[in-house]
Amino acid sequence: MTDDELQQWLQARDPASSLPPADPTWVARLLEDTMSADLETHHTETRESGTRNRSPLTWLVAAAAVLVAGLGVFSLVTDDPEYPNVPAAGDSPSVSSPPTVTELAAAPPTSAKCMVPNAEILSQAGIAFSGTVQEVADDVVVLAPDRFYTGEPTALVEVRSDPAMLQALIGAVEFKEGQRYLVSATDGRVTVCGFSGPYAEDLAALYTAAFPG
Amino acid sequence: MPDDASAAERRARFEALAPELVEPLRRFLVRRTDQATTDDVLAETLLVCWRRLDDVPADAALPWAYGVARNCLANAQRGARRQERLAVKVAVVDPPADHVPGPDDGDVDGRLEEALSRLTETEAELVRLWAWEQLTPAEIATVLDITPNAVSIRLHRAREKLRGLLRKNDAASGHEETREGRAP
Repeated sequence: MTDDELQQWLQARDPASSLPPADPTWVARLLEDTMSADLETHHTETRESGTRNRSPLTWLVAAAAVLVAGLGVFSLVTDDPEYPNVPAAGDSPSVSSPPTVTELAAAPPTSAKCMVPNAEILSQAGIAFSGTVQEVADDVVVLAPDRFYTGEPTALVEVRSDPAMLQALIGAVEFKEGQRYLVSATDGRVTVCGFSGPYAEDLAALYTAAFPG
Repeated sequence: MPDDASAAERRARFEALAPELVEPLRRFLVRRTDQATTDDVLAETLLVCWRRLDDVPADAALPWAYGVARNCLANAQRGARRQERLAVKVAVVDPPADHVPGPDDGDVDGRLEEALSRLTETEAELVRLWAWEQLTPAEIATVLDITPNAVSIRLHRAREKLRGLLRKNDAASGHEETREGRAP
């Protein structure tokens, strides 16, 4: 078998040979989504003016600097809280009315020492809720909140992250399916160091003290 | 933060470049993984191209993008393997090594799958990039970040090895499998 013959033999078995071309609309949307990610500087908007076409959820998500980026770009995205890496919910007509979701990022592993949890620090959290873990997967923990102490209430809260980071967070908070937790997040990142954890009376009291009313 | 003019210019550059990349990248990924991973990794690869637009070599954009896709795919597969180890409730994306050839594949008799699995990962990738992406050694060198000279030498060896495997495989299968009537 010559090189040419070998190449022809291989090409006859090319798994992509029967692949139809991508739908141009899909490609256009893919490219638009790509360009709207992260480097959307020409669309720089203040949080106030940028909300006109967006749902309250998106606003919340934006304010929380959430990421649903690919695994490898986690740190790039989280470095800049100005760029929510999510398509605006109002942009996708195909999504009718999914359950509202607050998306949070796992806090990066830290070797810093923790301060004693107190209500004053906790009160600075943008999101605080109690809820039960519905699912623990590789890159996401899904919680069903039963009470929002602060932040826009949603039906679900997803904590997303690079799997390695999520494991680190799981290590810190020990999310287990079916258990109830108190979770707070600052700038879209779940707080650890005792500020988030399994539901307990003393922690709940701290939450109540931090968010009276 | 770039001003509006440079942002528009950047957008224009990406819009000129990216449509040429999408289809080849899709095919590149479909050859190496499942459909869902293809879509994910394609999106991520384009994102890297967008963010690193200034690094894209003008004369070798596609091989460069293949290199990015290859790294993104490796990351995704590492994630998939980690997922398996976690043993939590999750739908695991099979890495391509576990891919079972189906009737839609060109590799109807699995001979290619079998032979490629006996090459080293680099050898198999060299063969794929040569036969399917139809890249020159210099382009393959860009994808794999090795020298063109090294590509030529290793590709030559990989083809020799593959030929040997196919010959051996044919000889072995002659009495135990239905022949497809296809000349090797």
